[in-house]
Amino acid sequence: MTDNTETIEDKLDQLQRSQGPLLEVKDLQVDFVTDEGKHVHAVRDSSFSVYPGQWVAIVGESGSGKSTSAMACLGLLPGTGQVVGGSIKLDGTEISHYTQKEFTAVRGSKMGLVPQDPMSNLNPVWRIGTQVKEALTANNMDVSHEKRSSLAKALADADIEIKSEGDETFLGSKELPALMEAAEQALVKAGVKGDRFEKSMERFRQEWVAGSETRWRVADDLIKAGVKDDDAWYIAKKYVLGSTVEDRIAGLLDEAGLPDAATRARQFPHEFSGGMRQRALIAIGLACRPELLIADEPTSALDVTVQKRILDHLQDLTDSLGTAVLFITHDLGLAAERAQHIVVMYKGQVVESGPSLEVLQQPQHPYTKRLVAAAPSLASQRIVSVEERGEDASAIMEHKVNEDSLEHADTVIEVDHLTREFKLPRTRDMFKAVDDVSFKVKRGTTLAIVGESGSGKSTVANMVLRLLKPTSGKVTYNGEDISQFKGKGLLDFRRHVQPVFQNPYGSLDPMYSIFRSIEEPLRIHKIGDAKSRRARVKELLDMVELPESVMQRYPNELSGGQRQRIAIARAMALNPDVIVCDEAVSALDVLVQDQVLHLLNDLQAKNGLSYLFITHDLAVVRQIADDVVVMQHGKLVEHGTTDEVFLHPKQQYTRDLLDAIPGGKLELGLNLD
Amino acid sequence: MTDITKPLPGQERYVAPLDETPLRAVDNVDETAPATSMWADAWRTLRKNPLFIISGILILFIVFVALFPGVFTKNDPNYCNLDNYLDGSRPGHPFGFDAQGCDIYSRVVYGTRTSLSVGILTTVIVVAVGTLIGAIAGFFGGWVDAVLSRIVDIFMAIPMLLGAIVVLQMFRTVTSLWKVVLVLALFGWVSTARIARGAVLSSKNLEFNTASTALGSTPMRNLFRHILPNSLAPIIVIATTSLGSYIVSEATLSFLGIGLPSTTVSWGGDISNAQSILRTNPMVLFYPSVALAITVLAFIMMGDAVKDALDPKSRTA
Repeated sequence: MTDNTETIEDKLDQLQRSQGPLLEVKDLQVDFVTDEGKHVHAVRDSSFSVYPGQWVAIVGESGSGKSTSAMACLGLLPGTGQVVGGSIKLDGTEISHYTQKEFTAVRGSKMGLVPQDPMSNLNPVWRIGTQVKEALTANNMDVSHEKRSSLAKALADADIEIKSEGDETFLGSKELPALMEAAEQALVKAGVKGDRFEKSMERFRQEWVAGSETRWRVADDLIKAGVKDDDAWYIAKKYVLGSTVEDRIAGLLDEAGLPDAATRARQFPHEFSGGMRQRALIAIGLACRPELLIADEPTSALDVTVQKRILDHLQDLTDSLGTAVLFITHDLGLAAERAQHIVVMYKGQVVESGPSLEVLQQPQHPYTKRLVAAAPSLASQRIVSVEERGEDASAIMEHKVNEDSLEHADTVIEVDHLTREFKLPRTRDMFKAVDDVSFKVKRGTTLAIVGESGSGKSTVANMVLRLLKPTSGKVTYNGEDISQFKGKGLLDFRRHVQPVFQNPYGSLDPMYSIFRSIEEPLRIHKIGDAKSRRARVKELLDMVELPESVMQRYPNELSGGQRQRIAIARAMALNPDVIVCDEAVSALDVLVQDQVLHLLNDLQAKNGLSYLFITHDLAVVRQIADDVVVMQHGKLVEHGTTDEVFLHPKQQYTRDLLDAIPGGKLELGLNLD
Repeated sequence: MTDITKPLPGQERYVAPLDETPLRAVDNVDETAPATSMWADAWRTLRKNPLFIISGILILFIVFVALFPGVFTKNDPNYCNLDNYLDGSRPGHPFGFDAQGCDIYSRVVYGTRTSLSVGILTTVIVVAVGTLIGAIAGFFGGWVDAVLSRIVDIFMAIPMLLGAIVVLQMFRTVTSLWKVVLVLALFGWVSTARIARGAVLSSKNLEFNTASTALGSTPMRNLFRHILPNSLAPIIVIATTSLGSYIVSEATLSFLGIGLPSTTVSWGGDISNAQSILRTNPMVLFYPSVALAITVLAFIMMGDAVKDALDPKSRTA
């Protein structure tokens, strides 16, 4: 078996060398023109190439020009963007000067796109099937015959001999029942019995999907199941007669991994979850069997486990179709795991490129080094604060400081059998968002709640902050039930338990200057006079390492990471005991995320803060948390110290989550430290 | 197998020379850029808009005329002498005289004050009442919202001019300018209320309100400190645009003879008086009409420019 795969790889390599790159971008320059008529260089002198059947990843932070480069290849630059220099060659043809009309001919059939946001890229008023059909009709696709890439043909040539064009006909749904029957009879005739018969039939039922299975594959399957060659081809020719548009649509959706595709095709986007929508978009992107698929952060809006499933499937699919994938991501781990070749972009330029493992294990450019160092992969340890690092290096190696405090610390927040129900709209049913959750946050430590979207973790955070009333159970702060706080007591509680929210763009009032935003908690609690408040704001800005000059600025002028630091400064204004971070670093780029995590950690060491850290990202948990609570469907699944949970996960769900961390098993940055 | 590890042509290891892309500090603040609030930004956009400059100059001029009519004419608009019946222009009386023998130029100048005060007073009342009711409906939601929204719907169903005519019919004897202002406001507040409600609803759900609550702020404080300021932009836009239409409505009502009494100098009344002699002396009607058109146009242009500057879609925050 290994011999066989090796030869396929060898063959692929040979083919790639002989055919040359499918997409070749040389010294690409893309400019955007501002309102004032100034040219802003979004991409400068960037070169990269994609070979047939290869996964190439472009990695970089937001604004690095990675999406812009890809969109330039598709002729889909937004707004005033325009290619001002360099060349883009698709299959040896220069396309950078193409008009929109010429691009239209190439898009879809030669280059497909899987866009970033599954929520906004499907038209809500059309059925999913109609939207797949649109892609097929726009490119005049023959829906009854399979179009295979030259690469797939060349690779498969050795194994299967395709006699005539008719052999690439798709199976239609009308003939499917008759085909099944004939196959069953043929198996009986061939003398296949018992377990083998059942297994073969099961395989047929699964694989023979109308609109996706071709005549030669049906014949091939039958032959493999033990039917004689001539009989197999006779059956295939008799029953595989071509598919209708509806069959093909269902077939495509099925290939993209949507179960029960024929029914799904008749549904509307709002009936789909994020992951299903992404699958539909993949089906659309691959509908016309493009040679190259450009996937622009296709899974960044999805949960890690869903992401893993979708990418696994996409990889299988593109491998079998021989489609090359240009994969744009901000996630180094993902790039390392999926792509053979990696291109790192920074400020519109390619700073490093090469074979992905080599680049990430031995980064050369300082930016790549920085990126690799900041990547929260499984291998990383809990961040140790600056002071601790300085004081006693050996203690840190042992992870000693934290374990000591874990054992001796008293409880600051206790969540006791917390349950919260919501009424479902238009029904009488109640939905349990949080179901009997109990845990304790010890003083001076960090407890992380991990879970996928919809697991109820943010609801817990809101109840701890007393922004939401629990249906039953209680939250105690320093031994006192927080639901009993009134008036002055409540104000006091608010003073000591502070939040930092997920969305750095939403949690600051756009009408308030940074100074007023940070000053607000001091005003609410009537602390100090104007002068002392000003001094305190300066002190806080210094604490989050921002210059004093940002005081007069407004939130829209700052980056996401800077706003998040402002939000932290505001939370710190009243010297709280507990900070509840609800996905506080999830929206940030890796480097900025790393910076904010270090800041949080240093603040904890300096001020003895306790954190309740809500996140969907297990890799981040490793860096910041002492204790971990894993939640699924509102229930607490696993609870333990970070090391216990990471090294010896007890529940399957936790193991799945750990497995889904992209690049979790790869060791990156071997030359660092 | 060995040559697979060798990269394909054009995909060899590449590291950019460092001096080409010097590494910058992570997430540094650009300290050179000028600080901008939302209003400062809007002002910068406005300043560059020719529509705003033209309408701004016009409005400043109109306001000046309304405040100091004496600067522009020494004639009393109410001094009418039938000896001057429909006389043409002569020195000191550039627009000539109307059918009553009144000086058209001075009547146009003095009419500015009437139109402008009706427009501005109505807008002020409409914005105050509309914002208050809309904000209450949006902020409290539930049955309060349901009741207030139905009231708004009912008023929405009444055409403003028709409603104003009916109400004004009942108060023919009242001569005050406030009569027209109040009636226009009575039917005008609903659109502002609707917009205010929508704006409050959308900014109520923004995260900074939750953040503020968690900091210890009360709901009322949130409403006045965060929600209302963030809802102002669309209210300002509708206020500027509708100011012009109130001026038109006043003129229309006066033209129909049920707006301001004939003793008050107003463009609508003058246009009404001039219509009977339109065929023989069109210029009598021409001057007040042009004054009215320019004034309304100026305010509508201003509203357009303000809308461009405050359009929430063009802002990222």
